Amino acid sequence: MTMSEVELEHEPSTTPPKAPRSATWGLTWHGVQTVAVLELRQRVRSTRWIVALIVWFVVVGGITLLTSGAITALSSGEAFGERPSNGPLLFGAVTFLVLGLGLLVTPTLASTGINGDRNAGTLATLQVTLLTPAEIAAGKLLAAWAAACAFLVASLPFFGIALALGGTPGTALPRVVLLVAVLLAAVCGIGLGFSALTARTAGSTVLTFLTVAALTLLTPILFGLTYPSISRTQTVEVSTVPQDWTGEVDAECEVQLQERTVTHTERTWWLLGLNPFVVLADGAGTTEYTRFSGNDNDPLGAIRDGVRELRAGPTIPLDECWTDQTSVDDRTEAASRTPVWPWGLAVTVLLGAGGFVVAVRRLHVPTRTLARGTRVA
Amino acid sequence: MSSTVDDDTTTAPPPATPPPGAGIEVRGLHRAFGQVKALDGVDLTARAGAVTALVGPNGSGKTTLLLVLAGLLVPDAGSVTVAGHDPIAHGPAARARTGWMPDTFGTWDSLTAREVLLTFAAAYRLSEAAATARVTELLGTVHLTEFADRPASVLSRGQKQRLGLARALVHDPAVLLLDEPASGLDPRSRVDLRILLRRLADEGRTVLVSSHVLSELDEMADDAVFLSRGRTVVPDAGPGGGRSWHVRALSVDALTTWLTSTGAAWRPDEAPVSPTGSGGVLLEVDGEEGAARLIRDAVAAGVALVSVVPAGGALEQAYLTLEEDRR
Repeated sequence: MTMSEVELEHEPSTTPPKAPRSATWGLTWHGVQTVAVLELRQRVRSTRWIVALIVWFVVVGGITLLTSGAITALSSGEAFGERPSNGPLLFGAVTFLVLGLGLLVTPTLASTGINGDRNAGTLATLQVTLLTPAEIAAGKLLAAWAAACAFLVASLPFFGIALALGGTPGTALPRVVLLVAVLLAAVCGIGLGFSALTARTAGSTVLTFLTVAALTLLTPILFGLTYPSISRTQTVEVSTVPQDWTGEVDAECEVQLQERTVTHTERTWWLLGLNPFVVLADGAGTTEYTRFSGNDNDPLGAIRDGVRELRAGPTIPLDECWTDQTSVDDRTEAASRTPVWPWGLAVTVLLGAGGFVVAVRRLHVPTRTLARGTRVA
Repeated sequence: MSSTVDDDTTTAPPPATPPPGAGIEVRGLHRAFGQVKALDGVDLTARAGAVTALVGPNGSGKTTLLLVLAGLLVPDAGSVTVAGHDPIAHGPAARARTGWMPDTFGTWDSLTAREVLLTFAAAYRLSEAAATARVTELLGTVHLTEFADRPASVLSRGQKQRLGLARALVHDPAVLLLDEPASGLDPRSRVDLRILLRRLADEGRTVLVSSHVLSELDEMADDAVFLSRGRTVVPDAGPGGGRSWHVRALSVDALTTWLTSTGAAWRPDEAPVSPTGSGGVLLEVDGEEGAARLIRDAVAAGVALVSVVPAGGALEQAYLTLEEDRR
């Protein structure tokens, strides 16, 4: 009889019929669409936005063309042998450019969603309607994300150019676009959360930028700063060629005890794994294809292999048995199998989801407290 | 504390018909912002089918009270019923029946008036067909038809105010909460507003209006609630009962002589008597019927009346009797 007890608690005399959706977290597509269409109409009709899109297209296009020109000029000097394709290099450049600019633009799209409306006096009039807080927040998130994706779509032609140069598997394009879209959605969620927490739009924009900066800049800096603390000089086993090696081809290696400086990057690799650029490079999936020609021309693949090796940390016994090639390859192969990107992506998406939850909770009416210095209306 | 926020489980879809006699009932409402007691014991009843004026000096808690009634703010203590529902415990059910027009509000500048209203119709979950018809009707009601497809940014302050009123009416609410609806309106629009609110009340809705323009409220309000320092106060003379009328005659002497002979308690109107001897007095009259009786008797007695009009405003008179000063 728990159900009737619960109902009795709410309203003893006139029990209202149970609603199919909850008052705070209920979501209908109709409600989300209403808010999203409203937001997008507002955005699209301000000419600034169209100008921003055009500027974006020109900047990304210009840098792409300049990069491809520079790559061609630099590599034309080496005339001997089969040159590896420049496609992966350009693809990597466009990918990082789009992510970098996207991380710069997106915080401004979402971080004024709630406090901006509150300052304009339009938020409370929406809150008194039958839209649930979740619908208002989701609609704003969807609109900001759609705007961010418009920038992504405007960059597609340049991804196409990079793909056309060859050397990059076709699957890399959808993977990169999907990853960037998810990362930008998470940034939108973070911005929305801050816009619900702070009264001023400038404050929430700065906080969103700081969070993005922490993920992109602070993580490699912290990794570098903690590097000395994870370096130990210790006696380790080293698998090496015998000291009395005379030059025969298939010499048996022997394990010796030697004093070495060992860096335990397996303790701090996760800092790099948080970086959106690492997430993207690792998830792009370009290396598999170019492994045999090496990945000198594939920045995404290089980052991916680098981070995965850091994650593996030093292998003890240290393998310095360079006469035996097969064992080295086996180990690199094993270290590279597990992807790094789910870790960083999950954390970023969790941050975004946290922002969304904060926004929904802050949009709930009636409120107990008013934001400092603001009237509800 | 009777008003607890009950998250997630309490959405009640609106019953088909509102409970009979559903107006606004407020008992012992308290709400403090830090040290400031914005509401400090408000009791209020607003009847369905009547226009209730909410009168009080600046900072007396009018806007805070309307925020609680609109379901935006949790009170510290007290009970509230709006159209038969508690806006705190059953927010959506109460909000579905409440139209709220805040004192300051914005519009989305790049949307047209029609789009603004259609957005709110969608937010109140009206069907598309119903919304289109309702919005066209409302634009006509607030005389914005010719601005329907222009962006809201070109609207004047008064036009935006009218758009805000249409916005509050879009879901056909049983209870209307209007915070200073007349501010920024030109005289023509004020008259229109008065007629509209009167009509809405006559349709059986509850209309609660706050305003500083007391003469304005006087002409449309059936009841009045006075707020002072967050408390409802009862003024010495409420509206509706006996109130002063300004009576003018061609000869003020003939008028006063006749009034004195009938035993009426008149007092001078403190206006100079004209050279021709015409002038007026202030007189307590029992409503419009009393005024009609006065005119009939005066004409029968041969007193040449010029005009008989309500003096000042009943609300103004009551307001000025409030001892507590503004803050």
